[in-house]
Amino acid sequence: MDTPKTVDLEQQDSSSHVDGQEEAPEPTGDGKGEVIIETRSLTKVYRDFWGRSKVRAVKALDMQVRRGEIFGLLGPNGSGKSTTIKLLLGLLFPTSGKALVFDKEATDVSKNERIGYLPEESYLYKFLNAEETLDFYGRLFNISAAERRSRTRQLIDLIGMDWAKKRQLKEYSKGMTRRIGLAQALINDPELILLDEPTTGLDPIGTREMKELIIKLRDQGKTILMCSHLLADVQDVCDRIAILHQGELKELGRVDDLLTVQDVTQIQARGLNAEAEEEIRKVIERHQGEVVSLENPTSTLEDLFHDVVGETSGSTVQEDD
Amino acid sequence: MIVDPSEFITFGDWFPAAAWSYAKIVLILLSLGLATCYAFAVVRHGPTEAIYIISRAVTGFFSRDGARISPRRVFALAHLAVKESLRRRVLVVFGVFVLVMLFAGWMLDVENDHPARLYLGFVLTMSNYLVLALAMFLSAFSLPNDIKDRTIYTIATKPVRPLELFWGRVLGFITVGTLLLMVMGLVSGIFVYRGLHHSHQVEATSAQLDPDTNLNQHNGETSRDSHHRHDFFVDENTTAGGKTLGTTSPIVREHRHPVVLQEDGSMEIGGPQGSLQARVPIYGTLVFRNREGQEEEVGLNVGKEWTYRSYIEGNTLGAAVWTFSNISPDNFPDGLMLEMDIRVFRTSKGQIEEQIPGEIILRNPSPTADADPARRQCMPIPFRATEFAASEVFVGLDQLKFQDNSGQLKKLDLFDDLVDENGQLEVWIRCRQRAQFFGMAQADVYLKATPNSFWVNFGKCYLGLWMQMVLVVLFGVFFSTFLTGIVALKATLATIVLGMFSGFLADIQTGEITGGGPLESLYRITTQQEADDQGADDVYMRVMIWASDLLPNYPEFNTVRKVAYGYDINRHILMRHAMITFGYFLVLSVMGYFVLRTREFAA
Repeated sequence: MDTPKTVDLEQQDSSSHVDGQEEAPEPTGDGKGEVIIETRSLTKVYRDFWGRSKVRAVKALDMQVRRGEIFGLLGPNGSGKSTTIKLLLGLLFPTSGKALVFDKEATDVSKNERIGYLPEESYLYKFLNAEETLDFYGRLFNISAAERRSRTRQLIDLIGMDWAKKRQLKEYSKGMTRRIGLAQALINDPELILLDEPTTGLDPIGTREMKELIIKLRDQGKTILMCSHLLADVQDVCDRIAILHQGELKELGRVDDLLTVQDVTQIQARGLNAEAEEEIRKVIERHQGEVVSLENPTSTLEDLFHDVVGETSGSTVQEDD
Repeated sequence: MIVDPSEFITFGDWFPAAAWSYAKIVLILLSLGLATCYAFAVVRHGPTEAIYIISRAVTGFFSRDGARISPRRVFALAHLAVKESLRRRVLVVFGVFVLVMLFAGWMLDVENDHPARLYLGFVLTMSNYLVLALAMFLSAFSLPNDIKDRTIYTIATKPVRPLELFWGRVLGFITVGTLLLMVMGLVSGIFVYRGLHHSHQVEATSAQLDPDTNLNQHNGETSRDSHHRHDFFVDENTTAGGKTLGTTSPIVREHRHPVVLQEDGSMEIGGPQGSLQARVPIYGTLVFRNREGQEEEVGLNVGKEWTYRSYIEGNTLGAAVWTFSNISPDNFPDGLMLEMDIRVFRTSKGQIEEQIPGEIILRNPSPTADADPARRQCMPIPFRATEFAASEVFVGLDQLKFQDNSGQLKKLDLFDDLVDENGQLEVWIRCRQRAQFFGMAQADVYLKATPNSFWVNFGKCYLGLWMQMVLVVLFGVFFSTFLTGIVALKATLATIVLGMFSGFLADIQTGEITGGGPLESLYRITTQQEADDQGADDVYMRVMIWASDLLPNYPEFNTVRKVAYGYDINRHILMRHAMITFGYFLVLSVMGYFVLRTREFAA
């Protein structure tokens, strides 16, 4: 039987492991761990009924995702992010090139035993309730009844949906459906999690919780591949990113490295008066530097929202809309 | 009742030839499928890579996917399909069924002479059509809807094998159909029982003493209930209360009632007998003798277009000869009960209500060399052809006589004298009246074994409907693996229509039925011409016949008529149907697997 071992998400650390899988190493995030996903000249051309080429969605994509990192696929709409994920999941077949997951062809169903997938929209059966949904997907992983019950309980707690677990999904808001979608992606305690636009439909608190959860999963040794066009989300959580545009890989590397502006130095200080600021400006000029800006920083709207809502409610909101 | 010749074949005789045909067809389909896939693969990947791809797909079926089928996953998907069906208001179908049942009593002909046929034919046919329609809609739309709604993404990205996806759907819809059929069967059973069960009161009697037997003879009439009444004529051969004296006669509306003597000496009419029955016919083989007494495969054609029955001429040497097997004291300890459904073709009107006389002769087909030739056959047993209704003739063991050389009648032993060493017996039937003809087919004369339970037979009929439903679900799910919902529905409907009319198509092709395909029809409609040869449609007709040959012969699975006419559905028929269903299950499962395996769900 290919039943994955249940691991408590709240307690699991990076040394946890799943049946038949090697112990998860420390998350690296440096692009030098075991290769989990690899694409070699991966190309996907959509054709019409007569076989004529319509759209070249992915063009000769070469990339690797390594164990324990959060890898972000970034790009505008139609850049090939979702197509790449679908190719990696075997929902689409490559026109040419290879997509390998756990060193197996992406079309090999057995790889799915170690994968969790959250689609762009939560394509779930609306006539099931939360418990039934998780139980159903647990059965697809051949998990025993007792373990399914246990995992369902844990995941419903994790996503904070205990109060709505008996309601049919058709009564759920978009954010609630998103959460249950994430729970189904984690039902098998996967090693690799593919998240397609994970924060879509979530409110700012839900977004932050989702991002925290992604980081937590990474800290537990899981590998995460996410695609998003929300740049802030990617910047907040991803270790490495690939930027796609019109199906082509335009940039690939560590987020820190890509975002660092090498010829600009930023100094932040607290409690300086106007004279001190003037003196710093003169020091910079004395060293042939150019003062780009010297001003009081502003907070982000997201931080302000969290400060306000956090003070008011002091707890997680239960329903998004 | 019309009986298909295939019913005379036992499962043991049918299976080897059927298995061989099946193997050939599967081999041809497999070769065609592989060749087509290889051609596509060559275009995309080149000849060498194509071989690798095809071989990997084939070996993957056995090693990677086939070997890792998980019953838990199949049941999970089946459970989902059941829930989905309930969500799609499947219970509405049951509601329609119950609603029709509630008002059916108003529509059915209350004066019909065959109420059992009417009631059974109605409920079974309605169950059949409702369940087939339901199976078609559920199976054709399920997977396409999943693909359209993209819920398939969350299934296909789990370790679900294509075969599990296929079987899960099939099992789910079969479960829904089975539950529905079971409830329909129960409701139908109650409806039929309530519709046919009735009682009468004794309305008028007169008694007289029979001087020969010294018994009171009661002659009476029942009350008119359920639009009919019965007469009875019974001997009071007991004085014990609660004993049955006899039955009403003749048979009215396919049933009789027992006449029971009560404790107080009065008589009471019991419930109907014989309206719901499952006769077990033992069929024999049939040959004809012409008017000169020579053997022929078929009898005379009296000019009827329908050639199901052949005719023999009255008052000649013409005869219809049945040979029955397995005639032994164990099987027939008291004698032979023959049931006959003989048609009459009259060339002179005469007394039109008078039944035409005939005779039955039992004959040893191959007596031993030392046997007395005079003992080879019995004296003719007279009977009258009832026409359009089956009649019974009981041949008791002490009833058989022969005429010796001195002209004296002597007793014959059925098993020692008339049954040969192989347990075979010939039954000759002749028409006694000049210028009249008896018409018969193989199934029109048979021996009756102990009847089976009607309700078991009723269940067997539902089993046949169930197998039809399984076939429709299999085709529906298969088509839905690569077609959109509405197209899959049409394709499934086409398989049913082609399967239903495969015999008709074959008859057109062989010229048995005059007609043509679309081109000839168009020509004839526009030119107002009569039937021509169908050369223009030859290719079209061949394709249609080839396609219908590959599809299940749905009418074969429909045993409604047998139950309605009160005949047992024998195990050979059920086993044959089960094997055919299983054959389609295997082929469609494999085809469904390869379609799902090569399908891009996100395309």
